[in-house]
Amino acid sequence: MIELFDVTKRFGSETAVDGISLRVERGELCALVGTSGCGKSTTLRMINRLIEHSAGEIHLDGQPVRNFDEQALRRRIGYVIQSTGLFPHWPVARNIGLVPRLLKWPRARIQMRVEELMSLLGLPMASFADKYPHQLSGGQAQRVGVARALAADPDILLMDEPFGALDPITRDTLQEELRDLQSRLHKTIVFVTHDMDEALRLADRLVVMDAGRIVQQGAPLDLLRDPADDFVASLLGGDDRGFKEAALTRVEERMLPLSPRLIARARVHREATLRQALAVMFREHADRLTVIDDEDMPVGELSLRRLVGARPHE
Amino acid sequence: MTPGLAAGLRRWGVPLVWLGLLLLASLGMAELEAVFRWLEPDSREVIYRRTEFLTLLGRHLLVVGVASLLAIVAGVGAAVLVTRPFGRDFLPLVAQFASMGQTFPPVAVLALAVPVLGFGTLPIIVALLLYGLLPIVRNSLAGLQGIDPAVHEAARGMGMSRGQVLRQVELPLAAPVILAGVRTSVTINIATAALGATVGASNLGDPIISGIVNGNTAYIVQGALLIGLLALTVDSAFERLLGWRRIRFR
Ligand SMILES: Nc1ncnc2c1ncn2[C@@H]1O[C@H](COP(=O)(O)OP(=O)(O)OP(=O)(O)O)[C@@H](O)[C@H]1O
Ligand SMILES: [Mg+2]
Repeated sequence: MIELFDVTKRFGSETAVDGISLRVERGELCALVGTSGCGKSTTLRMINRLIEHSAGEIHLDGQPVRNFDEQALRRRIGYVIQSTGLFPHWPVARNIGLVPRLLKWPRARIQMRVEELMSLLGLPMASFADKYPHQLSGGQAQRVGVARALAADPDILLMDEPFGALDPITRDTLQEELRDLQSRLHKTIVFVTHDMDEALRLADRLVVMDAGRIVQQGAPLDLLRDPADDFVASLLGGDDRGFKEAALTRVEERMLPLSPRLIARARVHREATLRQALAVMFREHADRLTVIDDEDMPVGELSLRRLVGARPHE
Repeated sequence: MTPGLAAGLRRWGVPLVWLGLLLLASLGMAELEAVFRWLEPDSREVIYRRTEFLTLLGRHLLVVGVASLLAIVAGVGAAVLVTRPFGRDFLPLVAQFASMGQTFPPVAVLALAVPVLGFGTLPIIVALLLYGLLPIVRNSLAGLQGIDPAVHEAARGMGMSRGQVLRQVELPLAAPVILAGVRTSVTINIATAALGATVGASNLGDPIISGIVNGNTAYIVQGALLIGLLALTVDSAFERLLGWRRIRFR
């Protein structure tokens, strides 16, 4: 659990972070969003003390971070940055084993852990262990970055725009993998991003910052439905907020049982999002879809009225 | 021949050839008497015999070696210090010194060192040290400052101490650039050390100075030949060393 109490950071006369309070529960993924320069990275780096906060308190599992030895603190917090920061003179396996080696794990244990992580992140040992970072693609390098952060099995992970420099398809894959990892590992994660879709897709809690302050925080759906002000509304996509909300809800949550009417020709999977269902309707010029399961069996139907959540008499 | 030895020979072949020629020339200069006689028909003696060439070579190497070693320690040390958080204030000063000093001719350093330190080996070591310091400081600074800030951030963020970052990340990454500076420094100093003969230090500069004083071209050629071969040996060895580092992680 990470807690920030009224935390402020000043660089000279400039206030980069201005009295923010935040609580990230164990196992929660908290996304920090906001315009450039609003203090997201500074907030992150105060947690692992790469930057010392000027005022307020930061607690890790109830302990002030200042009570920890700086190095010991960082070794139990995973850290992933956009440009990876992999050591160019070390091969992949050595890069991943960095923190375990700092913690003086026995050789054999490090070796085992590195192998485990490489297979977890889809980096076959045989082809990647001895490669140098400059021989990797952006997506592969970022996977190594994530593996390195996870190496000593930290409870906490800080990620600063980890997928920001990747193409949309690779980014999509890595987001999916992170979700998958998170559902198994239950880390406490603070995740900075500029990509609102990424934030909405991954976050349990969304924190919107502006000029060093937190403007609004809460569950992504709550923020989408009820933004505190125009800034939050426009950051979350302005009029496109509807689509973002639709992207957060699954078809199976809205579908109705199959009606006795003729079955609709256009189909959508039950785990697709409402946004995808809407796209299918648009493409197929249909206002009703048949919902199918993994075996292609119809399990329900979804009308346009039902999809948009129209009230009965309007 | 074992594969390791074969690979080593292939890698170090060129410097070894120069080294062979250097030793051959030092030991067998007298064999070339006919050539030098042709070059210098009027002199009574055409082979420099006051001191053995091998001894002169040894002294030359010693002076350059000591001066370079000191220059490396001081130069890399200074660059490391001014790139630490506590030494940042001195960074502009040292950087300026390193670029300005380069315009200072070594003869001038020597001329200034003699009145202070007297004749002999000491002033030439001081002059070489000062002069050789500059490329090393300049390159060490460039190497240390050229490291991707993200690498530094990650190193600290993973929980490495400042010492660990320096030893395991900064120095290895800056090494090729630092080594290039050392190469420049040592090569220049091999030539410059000959000036030592003018202030009473005995080395491969001796035959040259003696040749100039006595009007004996053969002496000059012998000194120059050995200094040239020594410079080529050392320079080609550095070339191999640098190429090898590049292959490893560039
Ligand atoms: N080391 C520093 N020294 C002085 N000012 C700093 C330092 N680090 C950050 N700042 C300032 O603090 C403010 C917040 O910076 P920060 O890096 O936290 O922004 P950010 O939200 O991460 O922005 P971006 O989205 O562009 O990464 C900026 O105005 C920046 O100029
Ligand atoms: Mg940032």
